[in-house]
Amino acid sequence: MALLATLLALRKDPRIQRLPPYLSLIFIIVGVAWLLLLPLDEYSRETYVSENALLPGQVHTYFTGSEHNIFRAYRHEVAALADKPVEERSRALTDIFRSHNLKAATQKYTYQPSGRNITNQNVYAVLQGPRADATEALVLIAAWRNMDGEVNYSGVALVLTLARYFKRWSLWSKDIIFLISGDSTSGPQAWVDAYHNSHSPAAIDPLPIKSGALQGAIAIDYPAGPWGHRFDKLHIMYDGVNGQLSNLDLFNTAVNIANGQMGIGCTLQRMWSHKNTYQDRLQTMLRGMLSQGLGHASGPHSAFIPYHVDAITLQTVGDGWHDEMSLGRTVESLFRSLNNLLEHLHQSFFFYLLLHSMRFVSIGTYLPSAMLLAASFSISAIALWVQSGRPDLDTPVPNPASTHPSPQEKKSPSIEEEKKPTAMTEVHLDTHKTLIPSALLTTTERSLLYPTLFTLLSHTLGLLPLYLFNNTPPSYLPTLLNLSLVLSPALPLLTASFLSSSPPLRPTSQQTTLIQSFSLLLLGMFLAALATLNFSLAFLVGCLCSPLAFTRYLPGKKIASAAQTLLLAALNPVVVIRAACWFWGADVGDVVVRAAEGWHVWGLWTQVVVWEVWWPAWFAGGVVVGRGLFS
Amino acid sequence: MLSFLPLLLFNALIACTAARSDYHERLLLRPLPQSALLASFTFRSNESSGAFEEQNFRYFPRSLGQILQHAHTKELHLRFSLGRWDASNWGQMPWNGAREGGTGVELWAWVEAGTEEEAFSRWLALTNALSGLFCASLNFIDATKTIRPVMSFQPEGDHHNMSRLHLLHGTLPHEVVCTENLTPFLKLLPCKGKAGISSLLSGHKLFDASWQTMSIDVRPVCQKEGDCAVEIEQGVDMVLDLERAKRPLDNPIPRPLPIEEISCDGSKPYNAPDTCYPLTRTADSSWSLNEVFGTSLHGACPLTDDRDGNSHTVCINVQPEREIQVKTAGEYDESRSASETLRCYKLPVGEAFDLVLPEQQMTTGLVLPTPPLYAARSINGHGQERGSVQAVIRNPSTTDAVEFIYLESLPWFMKPYLHTLRAVIDKSEGNPVKETYYRPAVDRRRGSHLELRVVIPADSSLSLTYDFDKAILRYTEYPPDANRGFDAAPAVIRLLSPRPPDRKGVYTRTTSLLLQLPTPDFSMPYNVIILTSTVMALAFGNIFNLLVRRFVGADEVPSRRGLRTILQGKLERFKSLVKGP
Repeated sequence: MALLATLLALRKDPRIQRLPPYLSLIFIIVGVAWLLLLPLDEYSRETYVSENALLPGQVHTYFTGSEHNIFRAYRHEVAALADKPVEERSRALTDIFRSHNLKAATQKYTYQPSGRNITNQNVYAVLQGPRADATEALVLIAAWRNMDGEVNYSGVALVLTLARYFKRWSLWSKDIIFLISGDSTSGPQAWVDAYHNSHSPAAIDPLPIKSGALQGAIAIDYPAGPWGHRFDKLHIMYDGVNGQLSNLDLFNTAVNIANGQMGIGCTLQRMWSHKNTYQDRLQTMLRGMLSQGLGHASGPHSAFIPYHVDAITLQTVGDGWHDEMSLGRTVESLFRSLNNLLEHLHQSFFFYLLLHSMRFVSIGTYLPSAMLLAASFSISAIALWVQSGRPDLDTPVPNPASTHPSPQEKKSPSIEEEKKPTAMTEVHLDTHKTLIPSALLTTTERSLLYPTLFTLLSHTLGLLPLYLFNNTPPSYLPTLLNLSLVLSPALPLLTASFLSSSPPLRPTSQQTTLIQSFSLLLLGMFLAALATLNFSLAFLVGCLCSPLAFTRYLPGKKIASAAQTLLLAALNPVVVIRAACWFWGADVGDVVVRAAEGWHVWGLWTQVVVWEVWWPAWFAGGVVVGRGLFS
Repeated sequence: MLSFLPLLLFNALIACTAARSDYHERLLLRPLPQSALLASFTFRSNESSGAFEEQNFRYFPRSLGQILQHAHTKELHLRFSLGRWDASNWGQMPWNGAREGGTGVELWAWVEAGTEEEAFSRWLALTNALSGLFCASLNFIDATKTIRPVMSFQPEGDHHNMSRLHLLHGTLPHEVVCTENLTPFLKLLPCKGKAGISSLLSGHKLFDASWQTMSIDVRPVCQKEGDCAVEIEQGVDMVLDLERAKRPLDNPIPRPLPIEEISCDGSKPYNAPDTCYPLTRTADSSWSLNEVFGTSLHGACPLTDDRDGNSHTVCINVQPEREIQVKTAGEYDESRSASETLRCYKLPVGEAFDLVLPEQQMTTGLVLPTPPLYAARSINGHGQERGSVQAVIRNPSTTDAVEFIYLESLPWFMKPYLHTLRAVIDKSEGNPVKETYYRPAVDRRRGSHLELRVVIPADSSLSLTYDFDKAILRYTEYPPDANRGFDAAPAVIRLLSPRPPDRKGVYTRTTSLLLQLPTPDFSMPYNVIILTSTVMALAFGNIFNLLVRRFVGADEVPSRRGLRTILQGKLERFKSLVKGP
């Protein structure tokens, strides 16, 4: 009880009320430092295969010999189809599948994201497992064109050869579906949507042949032309749309088989040379986080992950001595492992950060980092709420118990002389009497309607760019982006000047504080919830928003307000996107077009986070700071 | 193109029954497209009902007969199946679906009883006894997996007192049929797999088949009033992949062939010693009984009744010009029928018999009968909360409408919403569902049972969909492989019109479904246990400490810290050091 009383007495202590910004700062610093510690050996773990049934690399692979001759022939066939129209290509591929005694079918799909037209065809064939009862299936994918737009000659040829080879085995306990998708992102998406019957029937054909529940998918990206190309490493891509990841067991199995059985090095996140040093691990992790945070489809496998189908893409990189047969044997061994699965992949992690092909951090270790960032906003929000309930925002309440004169009293006696003596109230308790400053006894009413409406309005306002960016035809998108580059940073200033100039709408300083409190409270809540779904996005947005926890409404301090405004303008979402594109050398128009495609085709919701979490928080912060300029 | 031998004819050959005790067996081989081979084994024996009642069994298996008598079962149908019938390539099923089961185990029987409760207890006795007899988990057919179909099944036998008979039906879609089910099956045969066509049935080949089904059908057959017999028909049907089946048992690995053995397409511009576009084989591949079944046929079963001209046991349905070499040291006989597309052989007794078909380029093919319906069923949607089932049933006939009963038996944790049932015909308006029978599920007591009478017009397809909710099971109700999902039994489709040719009926079954239920993380209970134990230990420790410890005020302790006490203490310590611990 005594402790509680002490704590309650501390409530009014001005030192406590000065604490939150420092606390927020400490949280942000610890949060970022936490992330930087993760690549160390003490905080990360070696990967391991958790599902016993997988038994990676325990089987002999027989994909050699005359299969190589057949592979070369199929590669010539594929190369001959490269310039042919889509219909003819589909027919030729279907014929090859049918000649293997497989059931083959094609699927047409058309997407029209923001006025563009994506039309293509998927070809797929089902190998009915001799001992399977059509309840489970695995998928082997080769997109006709890979993510860079190159024709996937060797990948498609390998799928055709493996289909012929797999057909001869009697040990498959699951059906195997061979899918040659028209492209790397929309094609697999159309196929997997139709497989689960969640496609729009007007634009996408239904699948005439289906099999059981998909248990896993492996995509091959090997664009070597008809004369082949020996590769050095396998680049394994594992992240799906919206930052969802495939089960770590699948990744580990692939690495285990490629590394241990075939002697092919594995790499991830475009780290072509990885020396397993701290810097390399950190760089891999940050690249992984960036890719996860953006939530875009990174390969043909990405579309499968939202349907809880674990999927990875094997991409060949570099010049080395591994040939298509090594890749084929890797895929064979991988399918033999997946064929062993008795249950859906569930044993290992779904939330992880990979630092190296053999090292990872699990969610329990990295999650506090984003949570601390989110908490820093919540702390600021609570501090602002408390501050808004105080009677006089400008002068701190003197502590009646304090024996020291307040610093203001010491430093500025002139102000002290002008000030009225502090009003005191006499309080009786039994026989005791005491004098308490009246300010402590008065209750300050908070006017909540205005800040609530303002916060709601700022979130509603975010819907406008969300709609515009996803539905403008691609030719106008760069113009829209440039327009928003000017408008978006200026909007808070315009709003602030407008609010200041029209007296009925002018928020009081308490209302201004409450606006900031509410928007920070929402930001903290959103980010904490988001951290459990897409850690990287929450962390990135949290970092970019971190100044919002410290900017304040400073009436009368024009220079400080202007500095804050400049800082916030630099951290405007549109400015940040533009700067990031410039830094990584990406074409900003392309990024926006892809984002719109993601919204319409892949079900991407990074835009929602940007325009409904980040932008409103930034806007409210900007208005609050801007009020300082116009007060 | 040759006209295909109507199966009816073949069925008629075997269907002649008499009320006397006899035994027949027959093997029908039929090459299917894509180098597949259908092998249908049929074993039929009779026992007059009088002898059956007196437990005077001759060919009828005693073990099964006694079970049937004990459980008062008048008619029994049992199916063990694996894989799926590929109707688009293989055409109509060999017995029109009447002897072929859905994936897993399916059992239905007419049980004689006065009340429903009595019938159900006898049904349980039957399933438990059969479970022991066939080494299958048939005892897991409990109330939740048992339904009483109303329209889908009709008795095949002649029964006097239909009012006292109760039809019960149960399925185990996840039961994996294997060798331990085949051994007891063969033991029911008079020749026990030692002679006759049953000597070809080995587990290695049977369970490597692309599709296989084992069936047992027991029914009473009456020629005229009072002249009745109990007939048992055992069948094994399988589709073998010839390429796979021909591999020797000691080297089953399909290694890539040497390049010399692959025929390459020389017309391709890139054809080179290291580049080979494989040609598809057009000739019918060579095979022999010994190669395909892995064992040789040890002559005829001497118990076979060879009166009535039923002695030609092995039949093969091929084009007349297909070359067949018979290899046997004994006497055999060949007969041709059905415009020479059916060749039957009388087996020698006690001598090995083999049929060898060399590789031959065929100019004609066999016409496979089109099945009356194509059915496919799948689960749509994703997520752990709800889903929907879609069954697509296509009527390939360009002239006749098809009327059928669609039977769906769902586990209780899959809760369908009947108001979401949509039956849409792609080419016409109107409701194709004529009659609905629905018995909703009761949690943990019984599953849903849905029967629909549907008509599909000619040359159109029906899409039947309904939504369902997934129940959350109790922690202990999950099987050990909970994350695999739960199997939902195949839907059974019984044809009403065009009228089936015989009493067995025409059936089609869909594949089973895998239903993903919300599954807890099973390590969680252990975390909870560990956490609770820690809290308990802390609380218990503190309270125990407070209760047991005697608190004494500091000033109440007698002060005995004199020189003597100190010395005593030192001495004790020294002693313990010398003596050791």
